[in-house]
Amino acid sequence: MNAREKILGKIRDAQLRSNANNGASVENTLSIAQHLAQHPRGPQPPVIGDLLKNFKERCLKLSSDVLETTNRGDVPNLVARYLNEKNLPTQGVCWPLLSALPWREAGLDIQSRPSNSQDAVGVTGAFCAIAETGTLMTLSGKETPPSTSLLPETHVAILEPSRIVASMEDAWELVRKEFKQPPRVVNFISGPSRTADIEMTVTMGAHGPYRVLVIIAPLT
Amino acid sequence: MRVGLFVTCLVDSMRPRIGFATIKLLEAAGCEVIVPEHQTCCGQPGYNSGDRESAKKLALKFISEFESFEYVVIPSGSCAGMIRVHYPELFGDDPALFARFTALGKRTYELTDFLANIAKLEKAPGNFNGTITYHDSCSGLRELDVYKQPRALLATMPQVALNEMVESTTCCGFGGTFSVKYGEISTRMADNKCQHITDTHADAIVGGDLGCLLNIEGRMRRNGDNTTRVLHVAEVLSGMDKER
Amino acid sequence: MQNNSINFKKQATIKLADVRLQNALSRLQSRFVGGRAAVISEINDFQETRTAAAAVRDMALNDLEHWLLQFEQQATARGAVIHWAENGDDVNRIVAEIAALHGVRTAAKSKSMVSEECGLNDALEKAGVKVMETDLGEYILQLAHEAPSHIVAPVVHKNKEEIADLFADHHHTPRKTGIAELCREAREVLRPVFLNADMGISGGNFMIAETGSVLIVTNEGNGRLVTTLPRVHVAITGIEKVVPTLEDVTTLLRLLPRSATGQSITNYISLLTGTKSSEDHDGPEHFHIILLDNGRSSILGSDMQKMLRCIRCGACMNHCPVYQNIGGHAYGWVYPGPMGSILTPLLGGLEASPDLPNASTLCGACGAVCPVRIPLPDLLRNLREKQMERGMKTRQETFLLKSWAWLALHPKIYSFSTKIGVRLMKMMGGNKKLIHSLPGAPGWTNGRDFPAPSGQTFRELYQQGKHS
Repeated sequence: MNAREKILGKIRDAQLRSNANNGASVENTLSIAQHLAQHPRGPQPPVIGDLLKNFKERCLKLSSDVLETTNRGDVPNLVARYLNEKNLPTQGVCWPLLSALPWREAGLDIQSRPSNSQDAVGVTGAFCAIAETGTLMTLSGKETPPSTSLLPETHVAILEPSRIVASMEDAWELVRKEFKQPPRVVNFISGPSRTADIEMTVTMGAHGPYRVLVIIAPLT
Repeated sequence: MRVGLFVTCLVDSMRPRIGFATIKLLEAAGCEVIVPEHQTCCGQPGYNSGDRESAKKLALKFISEFESFEYVVIPSGSCAGMIRVHYPELFGDDPALFARFTALGKRTYELTDFLANIAKLEKAPGNFNGTITYHDSCSGLRELDVYKQPRALLATMPQVALNEMVESTTCCGFGGTFSVKYGEISTRMADNKCQHITDTHADAIVGGDLGCLLNIEGRMRRNGDNTTRVLHVAEVLSGMDKER
Repeated sequence: MQNNSINFKKQATIKLADVRLQNALSRLQSRFVGGRAAVISEINDFQETRTAAAAVRDMALNDLEHWLLQFEQQATARGAVIHWAENGDDVNRIVAEIAALHGVRTAAKSKSMVSEECGLNDALEKAGVKVMETDLGEYILQLAHEAPSHIVAPVVHKNKEEIADLFADHHHTPRKTGIAELCREAREVLRPVFLNADMGISGGNFMIAETGSVLIVTNEGNGRLVTTLPRVHVAITGIEKVVPTLEDVTTLLRLLPRSATGQSITNYISLLTGTKSSEDHDGPEHFHIILLDNGRSSILGSDMQKMLRCIRCGACMNHCPVYQNIGGHAYGWVYPGPMGSILTPLLGGLEASPDLPNASTLCGACGAVCPVRIPLPDLLRNLREKQMERGMKTRQETFLLKSWAWLALHPKIYSFSTKIGVRLMKMMGGNKKLIHSLPGAPGWTNGRDFPAPSGQTFRELYQQGKHS
């Protein structure tokens, strides 16, 4: 008998024991199928009022920076101003679907390719965002390499405001609707990477970005 | 209201005055107090040390003495918790006894809980004059939700000023046999508690469980503090808080 | 990892005297305990959410076989390889085999308490694989050759001066003492490790049966790096960590960071499903998931099953007044504090950890904060009962407990004995009414006086009053 069979056998025996103890019925199979089909939600804290307002407030609590524009073409200027104000390098990479933005005109060297460890800025979009916590959700794919939001010291995320949902449950629903199954990695990003391992002191920029700039900009 | 008083083994031996203070308070609240003569210990020390069998025997002794009362009142959150929460658990495999213990548990109260919520004592008869700080004992707090009740009763005494310590709800380190088995850890926990008490500059540290109070007083006196008074809430509320 | 919990008492004494440790522990308390209190208020139905979280875990545990098979099927369909390990040695062997299969020479590891159970790093080094811990805390411990003392904040027992010394020694750089500088130095040392590693090793906070995914919760980003950059990813987790659906795990995620570090959400939550596709630029080509039993299946179906709900947040230890005073190392194995005092005896044998179930005042703080409502004090007491049943208590303790119970069951003898006892104790107390030394209870009087009784019992005074 291999380890798999041995472990599963022990689990089966244990469950027989406990079901006998609890008087559990054998109709579990039905409830399991139902549970998977319906994937019921647990209690959710209500997000009161405007999703965008909630999202922005939560972003700030997570130490993300937030900028807004109604003109998508203006995004590179906002990024340039942000980097210049902080005296940060202006070289970086972006997701391919953002390559059409006028980066060069804003004085930035943003290339459309996956990131390597030398890039200072990584510009991404987001699959959606969650108002409850101020979280960005990104899905991996050909056009959306996850390392862009991870390797550079500054992560810029451009967010379409209509993609802000209330909760993580709503975000899963969106994934189910738009894809058959989750991609290789779904990342929930909530502010710059941090550690408090040394003397419980929160320090930004552990292994990922030191800062996250969310730019809320509608597509049209 | 006909109340059966369980004084607890610790109060019986170590500070009987708390028992008399309890009677005074219950009578002030208009209760008829009966003290079953053969009461001893609720069985918690054994129960918490793994001696379930002995705890069951003492639970049966207890129910035989107290089942007839309208209410059972105990000047200890720890013993009241044993009866309310743990007695029924001990008889989970016996539906008839489980039901009887559950019913008894529902009529069993920690003293301040009973005075504040059932007997609705409007004014405590005590005349303590000074600053106190209150230690919340673990079982009363977490098993019986006793937190506001003693404070509400103390607030009816105009000369009492309550100065809350930090971490009033953190364990003092008593833990029954723990205090003897793990004396060093227990002493450190008591030390932390004493420090928080000292920081309030209160005249008295008051609590609802004699076990905690003996632990706190023991450490306080060993540390050389011979002035801060260590009092059971019943002593303060009843006015029976003068030097022994 | 070697189970050293037999030495709990001796270790606790040492830790109580360790001033540096005591300072470090006070930081833990203020940050994690205070932080939790602040963020749980964001959830208006916090108690209801705890109940729902417990129900999610119970649902998974009550049909564990089903959910594991569902998980296995889904994960395999997405290209992951599932391995089953009965014990830590199995895990070590399997990881070494995976390394050999894919020609792995270096591995970058993110924090995994399950791998600590197995002693994986030593085993891999022996197999010729260089392993680097990349969680900052774990990295510091690897340099210091020490074990974690907390399941969430592994290096809480060290201060920045000690860390500065370690870094200067190992990195051959000028000694730095600013915390941000130290963090930056570690980042710079470890970045090439991520980029060059052949294999990434991670734990798994949860497995999702619905999608066959492993979910990991991190703050530093190293968890993302080790599961994104190396061409092989091995995730190691316990068989109990499965949950049915994405909604179910979301309920747990509302509580895990809040209970653990006082954060509303951790910086990163990554749902990992299958291997890199032909279109992906990054991600591992090979994804191995190791499911460890190591005694867990024997807890299932027993009166201790609720322990398997545990989601490893550490709230019980953060709030435990015993842990707060002695830290994690005294507990002697991977898991300290209340959850460890239950898990260590269950996984490593009750006889190997005689103190752990007893080293608690049963104050109830742990049970009150547990996000999945594990009745930790009841489980501790249950283990004490098992010690009693199996004759594992000292003869002296058994004698005392049985004698006290016998006395309490015989009111007349009880009355007589207590009358004598309190008179003796009154005499011992003298003028100051304090007993400085109690024979038979040095544990009490070594550190405390015992306030002497007044010399008569309540029962005798009450009877006198009635008759007069």
